Amino acid sequence: MRPLLRLLGLLIRAAPRPLLRGAALSVLVLLMGAALLGLSGWFITATGLAGLAGIGIAFDVFRPSAGVRFLALGRTAARYGERLLTHDATLRALAALRVLLLRAHARLGGRQMAALRAESVLSRILSDVDALDGLLLRLVLPLLAGLLSHLLIFAALSWLTGWAVALPILLLYLLAAVAVLLWLGRRSLAPSAEAERHKQALGRGVIDMLRDREALILSGQLDDHETRLIACDGAARRATRQLDRAERDAGAALAVAVALAVAAALLGGGWLLAEGRLDPARAAIGLFVVLALAETLLPLRRGVAELGRMADAARRVVPGLAEATDTATGTPEAGAPLLVVDRPGLRFTLAPGEALCLVAPSGAGKSTLLMQIAGLDPGPGLRLCGLAPQDCPEEALRATLAMVPQRPALLAGSIRDNLALSGVGEDAVLWQVLEAVALAGDIRARGGLEAPLGEAGQGLSGGQARRLCIARALLRRPRVLLLDEPTEGLDAETAARVLQGLRRFLPDAAILSAQHRGADHPLFDRIVPLSSGGM
Amino acid sequence: MRQDDSDQSRPSMQRARARIIAPVAGVLNRAGALSVLAGLLWPVQAGVLAGAIAAWVADPGDLRPTLLAALLFLALALLRAGLEHRAGALLFAAADRVIAAERAAILGREARQRAGMGSAALAALTVQKLALLQPWITRYQVAMLRVAVLPPVLLVLAFWHSWVVGLTLLVAGPLIPVFMALVGMAAEEASRRQLGEIASINDMLMERLAALTDIRLLGASDHATADFAARAEALRLRSMGVLRIAFLSSTVLELFAALGVALVAVFVGFTLLGEIGFGSWGGRLSLGQGIFLLLLAPEFFQPLRDMAAAWHDRAAGLTVVEELEALDRAARSELVGQGGRAPALPGPLRLEVRGAVAQLPGRVLALPDLALGPGARLAITGPSGVGKSTTLAAIAGLLPLAGGRIEVCGRTLDGATADGWRARIAWMPQRVHFPDMALADWLGASAGRGEELRAALAQAGAAAVVEGLPEGLETRLGASGSGVSGGEARRLMLARAILAGGDLLLADEPTADLDTETAERVIAALLRLNAGGRALLVATHDPRLARAMGQVVEMTA
Repeated sequence: MRPLLRLLGLLIRAAPRPLLRGAALSVLVLLMGAALLGLSGWFITATGLAGLAGIGIAFDVFRPSAGVRFLALGRTAARYGERLLTHDATLRALAALRVLLLRAHARLGGRQMAALRAESVLSRILSDVDALDGLLLRLVLPLLAGLLSHLLIFAALSWLTGWAVALPILLLYLLAAVAVLLWLGRRSLAPSAEAERHKQALGRGVIDMLRDREALILSGQLDDHETRLIACDGAARRATRQLDRAERDAGAALAVAVALAVAAALLGGGWLLAEGRLDPARAAIGLFVVLALAETLLPLRRGVAELGRMADAARRVVPGLAEATDTATGTPEAGAPLLVVDRPGLRFTLAPGEALCLVAPSGAGKSTLLMQIAGLDPGPGLRLCGLAPQDCPEEALRATLAMVPQRPALLAGSIRDNLALSGVGEDAVLWQVLEAVALAGDIRARGGLEAPLGEAGQGLSGGQARRLCIARALLRRPRVLLLDEPTEGLDAETAARVLQGLRRFLPDAAILSAQHRGADHPLFDRIVPLSSGGM
Repeated sequence: MRQDDSDQSRPSMQRARARIIAPVAGVLNRAGALSVLAGLLWPVQAGVLAGAIAAWVADPGDLRPTLLAALLFLALALLRAGLEHRAGALLFAAADRVIAAERAAILGREARQRAGMGSAALAALTVQKLALLQPWITRYQVAMLRVAVLPPVLLVLAFWHSWVVGLTLLVAGPLIPVFMALVGMAAEEASRRQLGEIASINDMLMERLAALTDIRLLGASDHATADFAARAEALRLRSMGVLRIAFLSSTVLELFAALGVALVAVFVGFTLLGEIGFGSWGGRLSLGQGIFLLLLAPEFFQPLRDMAAAWHDRAAGLTVVEELEALDRAARSELVGQGGRAPALPGPLRLEVRGAVAQLPGRVLALPDLALGPGARLAITGPSGVGKSTTLAAIAGLLPLAGGRIEVCGRTLDGATADGWRARIAWMPQRVHFPDMALADWLGASAGRGEELRAALAQAGAAAVVEGLPEGLETRLGASGSGVSGGEARRLMLARAILAGGDLLLADEPTADLDTETAERVIAALLRLNAGGRALLVATHDPRLARAMGQVVEMTA
């Protein structure tokens, strides 16, 4: 439950003002609803009495009837405002949660970040975040508003009619309803987590079934896999059924609590009346207020039934939200060589303007070495401007070094949006860099910098996407440029042009490229073989 | 324009109902009847309360009518809660049944008859989107039934006591469907936009999370986060614009409900005072009648409000059905056979393709003629996109034929022989997918096959790969996304194919994207396997591999 509370704090901080005003209006709506029915009930009973007594003329009808009209209109207006404000707050919180998540994940290590490409990992994160979206709107706000308005109504009723009418509301609504909701919350924890676990497993299983389809069929395991998925769905359904059962039981229990409260208010009113301490009209107020409040009580169980799923999601999401602080405090030495790799079996120094090609069979650890130099994973025997990369403050590190990973990623948006990630936006420079990576012609043919790209850069060929990513890195004008298989997916001629172009664009940069084709390009001053001993 | 839209959607609405609602219509009607019955108890309860208050005025000292009324009210409330509880159980079971059936149909069909839908999209449809049918099934039908019965009954009761109150409700009542249509349309629009909104904010987040390595390497973490925040803010503003309209319409509905109560209260009050002399039949309205009417008014509007809410659920459900129908209509290519375990076809290995034409979704492709015996090696070559992989798939019975024949072990490859044929062959796909399971399980190593597993890994040159993994054979590669390089993955796939057994290995581009050294290792492993007696059929555009196979069938466009 603690992660959920921490998350709640984060969400509230995202939009405290709209939330507070929305909450205030929520309370107001509940109070006005109760007042409307209470006043109406009192008015009818009182006029009935006056009519019977024949003192109708003396009865002040205008204030109560104006009150009834005011409450009817006011409640509707307040409700509209409440909805707008609370939805606004929710949308803000929802965005804030995602921004926070993105920021926190941006500081993960290289391996963990690579794991974020797995569909199963991403879909789990999203499903958790979705589960938490309802926390404010469906759970916390209605509960708090309900609690506060009931307390206020209890106080008002005690003053108006006496405790014998007000007490049932306190006992049955506040205590019994809270107890029922707590019971529901506890009962929903296990099946919620269970259902979610099986649903996630089912989703992964469907992905596996299609991605690994051939192997499943060839090994005759398709039937078995299908049976497993059906069983998985069965388990999820059983858990959901338990959850539904809990919710319906709670609904029935709340309905009984409401009925008991109504009966108690009736008896309390009747008793005070018989004692002669109240007139019938005031005795009736409690009854009508209790009836009005019933309407607000029953929907609460929906949100509470989701508590389990939210708590389960928060347990996974919140640890990942910890804001990692940059603990690296080293300062780069001005005179130190730009890049030194000094490991058993792998030694080289890279000076400005030099280019080195790292050649190795796949699996020898090229990508790992580059990621370590880029400071995304810790590794021994590396010096960047005299500092181990992981000791270099993030900002200084990124200002010095840029890297194009083996499987670079693009975003949906325009070509310009993607290039703008580098922080550079002037058209002339953008075109210049596109020329450098031999992509300007292709982009012009697609309609220029504003040409849209689909999700994950869809619309470009593999080779075009890679060149766009190289261009993006070049725009950073790094002193050290790391390239992981920059020529993959390019024909030999284009590959040669790209290598030439990037040197022209960055004449002074130290370039370290890991590639298994085109190592003989004139760009490279040296070729260094990487054996697995180098790791 | 609106009108046109709804006219066009009518047949699809009917199909959707026939598919989702009709199979459980009986249960839904039973649940609806219980819920209506529960709703009909309210006027009785209202009467009990009204009688009690009237009795207070008549004789304030007598507590017995109050006690009786309290007990009666309680008993009726218990009955009502019981009815609702039971109706809820029926509704849940009905929705559960329909959704489970749809889900089972997808699970049983999509791997056997492949359509174009991506695996992630299919997973989302199967798990999350199908669940959106539940509110539609459980709420809409019941809300319709309640709206058809309860307001008219309450209206009759209101008229019975006072024609003015009846008339007030009658005028407000029909206005509500008018506004409800507005609400419905606006709400549908809002929910669609908001669903889209949330979906798109999630898409944006997902894409950025997947691209985080790049973003960080570009030093763009802050920039990308700020940009995402700005986009999220823009989405919020647009959402709020839609919600402002949607909420306005539903506010009108609430206004009617609140005004209905207020008008009834004021009219009844004035009548009781004697200031209004019309509106009731004959004599004057009694206090009990007045209270009764006041208690009826909110309940008159409630089913209408429920119905407006259920409109959302219906819209969401229809969207899901549309997606299901699109999936039904998708062009498919059907698996030959069942994909289950079967005894291997008897006889010596023999494969012959003669004039075969493969049936792909929406098109056909002629396959090259070829023949293969025990222990043979054969390469299918040709430019990319010419149909090499399709040929292998057809030989494995993963695609049906539109013409010609494929003979396996002397029999025609068809639904009766495909599973038995597949028991004799192993498959090495071009692209690897590691599910979220331990490597040992993925390789297919059941308990007691440790020795075989080691041998297969050694033969595939993958023993070192496994040793390099943090948890060896227990590593879950699927969860970590990328733990091995392309060449390593290829060797693991080969080990998996070796373990799968059989006497023919179909390998799709086993050396694609590998550097020379690694490719040589994979080729050597394949040749070792062939020397052990297993026939090889590879699809490749790697000349080294084609040379190593000796026999080559060239495909041309």
